[in-house]
Amino acid sequence: MLNLFKQTRNGAALAFGGLLSAGWYISANSLLSGTAMHSLAVAGAIVIAGITPMWVSSRAMAKRASSQNRSLSQRLMAFDRHVLVNVVDTQGKLTEVNDQMLQVTGYALDTLVGQPVSMLYADNEGHNLAHAISKCLRRGETWQGETPLRCADGRVIVTHSTIIPLFDSKGKWTGSIAARTDITRMMKLLGEHETIETLDELRDDIWILDADTQNFTYMNKSALSRLKWSHDSLREQGIRDIAPLEGADDLVTACDQMRHDSQNLAHTEVVLAGITFAVTIKFLQVGNQADRFLFVLNDISERLAEERTKSDFISMVSHELRSPLTSIKGSMGLLLSKAAGDIPEKAQALLEIAHRNADRLVLIINDILDLEKISTGRMEFETTIGDLCDLIRESDHANEMLLQRYGLQIEIAGTDHPILLETDHNRVMQVLNNLISNACKFSPPGGKVHIIVQEGTNEVKISVKDHGTGIPEGDQHKIFQRFADLQNSDRATKGGTGLGLSICKAIVESLGGRIGFETREGKGTEFYFVLPISQGLGNEELAVSEMREAS
Amino acid sequence: MIKLLHVEDDADIREIAEMSLSLTGEFDIIQCASGEDALSRVADYTPDVILLDMMMPGMTGRQTLEAMRKMPHLADVPAIFMTARAQFDEQEELRKIGAAEVISKPFDPMELGEQIKAAIKK
Repeated sequence: MLNLFKQTRNGAALAFGGLLSAGWYISANSLLSGTAMHSLAVAGAIVIAGITPMWVSSRAMAKRASSQNRSLSQRLMAFDRHVLVNVVDTQGKLTEVNDQMLQVTGYALDTLVGQPVSMLYADNEGHNLAHAISKCLRRGETWQGETPLRCADGRVIVTHSTIIPLFDSKGKWTGSIAARTDITRMMKLLGEHETIETLDELRDDIWILDADTQNFTYMNKSALSRLKWSHDSLREQGIRDIAPLEGADDLVTACDQMRHDSQNLAHTEVVLAGITFAVTIKFLQVGNQADRFLFVLNDISERLAEERTKSDFISMVSHELRSPLTSIKGSMGLLLSKAAGDIPEKAQALLEIAHRNADRLVLIINDILDLEKISTGRMEFETTIGDLCDLIRESDHANEMLLQRYGLQIEIAGTDHPILLETDHNRVMQVLNNLISNACKFSPPGGKVHIIVQEGTNEVKISVKDHGTGIPEGDQHKIFQRFADLQNSDRATKGGTGLGLSICKAIVESLGGRIGFETREGKGTEFYFVLPISQGLGNEELAVSEMREAS
Repeated sequence: MIKLLHVEDDADIREIAEMSLSLTGEFDIIQCASGEDALSRVADYTPDVILLDMMMPGMTGRQTLEAMRKMPHLADVPAIFMTARAQFDEQEELRKIGAAEVISKPFDPMELGEQIKAAIKK
C-alpha cells in the first residue's frame, strides 16, 4: 500500500478538527451561517478534498462573508457529494460517515457507526493498514495514500484517502477525519493501459474476439502489423476476414466447440502468411462482460526449422552408419559361416559376440530413426480396415525364428472370430513384434508366450504375457522411458535397445490407444495395448477386406 | 545360373555381396560401381535380375532403374533395391516405383541369395 505523503500537523487541520470533533454534519450546517471561523474550517475541508486549496485571512473574509459563504456552501455540497468522509475516535471506531460513503460502500449508517474503522479496510482484515494509519495520526501527522475498502457486498474499491488527526482546543488528540476519493475506475483504466502497452511489446500476436459478434475487439501491435490492419478497422473484422490465414474455418469451428462445451483452453496450430504459429485459445467469461476469445499466436517456424535440421542430421548420421555396418556385419557373417574356411573355436566365440553386438547396433539405429520420426511428427500412419486376428496369427509366423532361438512356443487366445479394426496394421504389427520379442527375451527356455485378444464394446485389448522374472518395483515407473536404466534389464545380454517400449507407447498413442503392463516379480509380466474399435464396421467391410486380400 | 547385375558404389559391400552369392553357386554376377557404368554395361547384356543400391553419387538407384526401364530388353527385368534408408514406410514407397523387393542394409550375407531368388519368383 502506498503512503505517498505525510504532512505534519497544521493550524487549519487543528481548527477544522476542533469543529468536526463536534460532528461533521452539525459543523457543516453551522458553516453555512457564515462566521469567519467556520469558513476557515470549510477551507480546511476543501484543502482535504483537494478541490480548491484556499487560504484567506479572517479580515478579508469578514468583508466578503456573505458572497463567499454562498460560494463555500456550494463547494461544500460538491465536496460532500464527491468525497467519502468518515470520522474516527481515539479508539479507532467510526463515529460519523457521510451519505456518499454509505452510497458507495453499500453499508447502512448503523452498521458502520460504532464499528472499528479496520472493518472497512480490505487489507489483511484491515488491521495492518488501520494500525499504520493510526500510528501516523498519533504522531500528529496527516496520512495520505491508497486505501482499498471492502464494500457491504464484498467488492473491493480503491480509494485515495487523506486522513487528518483531530485535536481539541487544548491540543489533545480526539481522533481523525478521512476524506476519500474512489479511484477504482481510474486504477482499472491505468491497469488496462499498462496491459495494452505490455501486450504491444510482445513478439507474439494477440487477438481478442467477441464471442457473440465474432468480430475482433483487440489486436496487439505485432498482430496488426502482420495483417496490415488498424485499430479502427479491427472491430468490423472476424477470423474469416484474415486473408492470409490458412484453415480459418477450422479455427472458427474450434471456438464454437469451446463455447458449446464450456471448454476454457485449447491449443492448435495455424499457418498465417506462410508462417506456422502455435495458437493458444482461451475462452474468457468474466463477470458481466461479453464472452471473449483470447488468442495467443506464437511463431514456431524457426523452432520447427531447427528441429528439422536436427532431425535431418540424426537421420543422415544414422543412415551413414549403416553402410560401414553392412561391411562389418557382412564380413563377420561370412567368417562365421566358414565362407573363408575354418576358424579356431575361441575366435568363433569372439566373432559371435562381435556379430551379436553389430546386430544390436543396427536395432539401435532403426529405433533412433523411428523415435526421431515420431518426435518430429514425420512417422506416417496408413489406416486400413482389416482383421486383427489375421495380424496376430501373422506375428506368430514372423517371430518363428526368434521363438526357435529361445526354445519357446506362442499360445494365442481370443482370435476365433474376426475383429475388424480401422488402424495402421503395419504399425500394430511393429508394436506386437516388439512385445513378443521382449517376452521371448525374458521367458525361461522351453516356456510359453501367450497372446490374448479381448474384445470389448468400443475397444480391443491385446496382451502379450510371459512367465519370466517380472519387472522389479523400482523399475516399473520408468519402463516406457527411453534408455531407462533398469536394474535387471540385461540389455546387453538380451540384445534390447532400451527404445522399443517407448516407440511402442508412441505408436499406440498415435493410433488413439493406450499401453500398459501388469507384473509380478518371479511370476511374469503381461504387456497390453488397447486400441479403439471404430463403430459401424460390419460385414460389408469384412467382405471388402477379404476380397482385397484374395485379389 | 541366374544372371545378376549388381550396382553398388561401396567396394566393400560389392565384395561381401559377391562372396555371399558365390557361396550358393547359383549366380552369374556382373558388378558396377555406378549407375552410369551399369547403363553402359546393359547395352548388350540382359540380366535376369538387377540389384541396385539406392544412394549413389551421380545417378541414384531410382534414376538408374528409370533409365533402364526405357530400354525394351530391360523393361520387365525384376529390380531389387538395396538401401540403408529402408525404413517401414520408405520400403512401401520403393515398391510403388517398381521394386520387386527392398533389402535393408545391413543385409544378412547368408540370406541374400534366397532373398533375391524369392524376389524373382514374385
